[in-house]
Amino acid sequence: MNAIPCLTIDDVATLDGVLADFLTKAEADLTVVIDRGGNVISQYGDMTVIDVTIIAALAAGSFAATKELARRIGEVEFNALYHQGNGNHIFMNSVDDETIMITVFGRRTTVGLVRFYSASTAQNVAKLLNALPRGGHGFAFDASDITATPVFAE
Amino acid sequence: MSIINYASREIQFKIVYYGPALCGKTTNLGYIHQRINPENRGDLVSLATASDRTLFFDFLPLNAVVIKGFVTKFQLYTVPGQVIYNATRQLVLRSVDGVVFVADSQWEKMEENVESFKNLEDNLAKQNISIDEIPYVIQYNKRDLENVAPVNYLEYVLNNRKKRVQSFEVVSSTGQNVFASLNAVSQILLHKFSKQSDAPKTPSAPVAIPLDQSVAQKQGAAV
Repeated sequence: MNAIPCLTIDDVATLDGVLADFLTKAEADLTVVIDRGGNVISQYGDMTVIDVTIIAALAAGSFAATKELARRIGEVEFNALYHQGNGNHIFMNSVDDETIMITVFGRRTTVGLVRFYSASTAQNVAKLLNALPRGGHGFAFDASDITATPVFAE
Repeated sequence: MSIINYASREIQFKIVYYGPALCGKTTNLGYIHQRINPENRGDLVSLATASDRTLFFDFLPLNAVVIKGFVTKFQLYTVPGQVIYNATRQLVLRSVDGVVFVADSQWEKMEENVESFKNLEDNLAKQNISIDEIPYVIQYNKRDLENVAPVNYLEYVLNNRKKRVQSFEVVSSTGQNVFASLNAVSQILLHKFSKQSDAPKTPSAPVAIPLDQSVAQKQGAAV
């Protein structure tokens, strides 16, 4: 926990703007930015039918699992992965060394369109995330601020 | 690596259950999933073989306490315990905030316990994390079996570092001390997080992100 990313309301609004722009252009349903440990950094789009937390954990695992496959053919990693379904599909692309972008889309669009716009979106997301303040998170609290003890109850 | 989001007012943490094969890591998560208030948890996702051996990881997202209006979200993972899956364990350990080390109390599993703990240290070191820095607790699991080593011996073997950590006698199949150990590691983790509250350092480089006019207008309207 040495470098804790701190997303302010302004950061999230800017990030949402970039992701909304991408969804409009690519005509995709949902996009999620996650770190490679599976934590959700930001999300935008229709989240009513999908548990984004679980998608993030599985996508991070899927992305990492193919790294060794890439290495076998002389690549450091695959920059993008595409999972094709019958009606719904997932496209994942690398944002930077710490971050991945996941896009869920259906029949309204094509993988080519999603792939095309995701490249420039990833660059913009990377710029924004690299500029996030790191170090201390500025969120101080003590034991009396915790509303329930124990943290988890049966 | 925890993430704090001031817009959604959430703080995310990742806790990994680590230990040798068949020590009860998945059983821990299964019990927590079964007993915690359904409103505070997501689905338990298990990537396992046909014989229920963990192949990649198990995953359980939990919502926990509210601190100053921020919801704390904990993501619980298990690693595959079998020795050959070390690459997978390294992947699951990425961005970890806290660890529950699950030891099998049976005498014949002692060597595997020690190997697994050493493997945890090595894999953390690959992420430049020292075992002495990360919040962790130890479970001595399967205390209901007959051929178990005494706790003093387990402490000597597994919890004999300069800084001794909290340890628990656990029966994960019945839930004994499963929540106690999860709560202990969560408290240590939150305590450590609260100490890292120095004001963030804002990078000096300006960021320019092109936005469509229409999107910018939507944002403005939303605010």
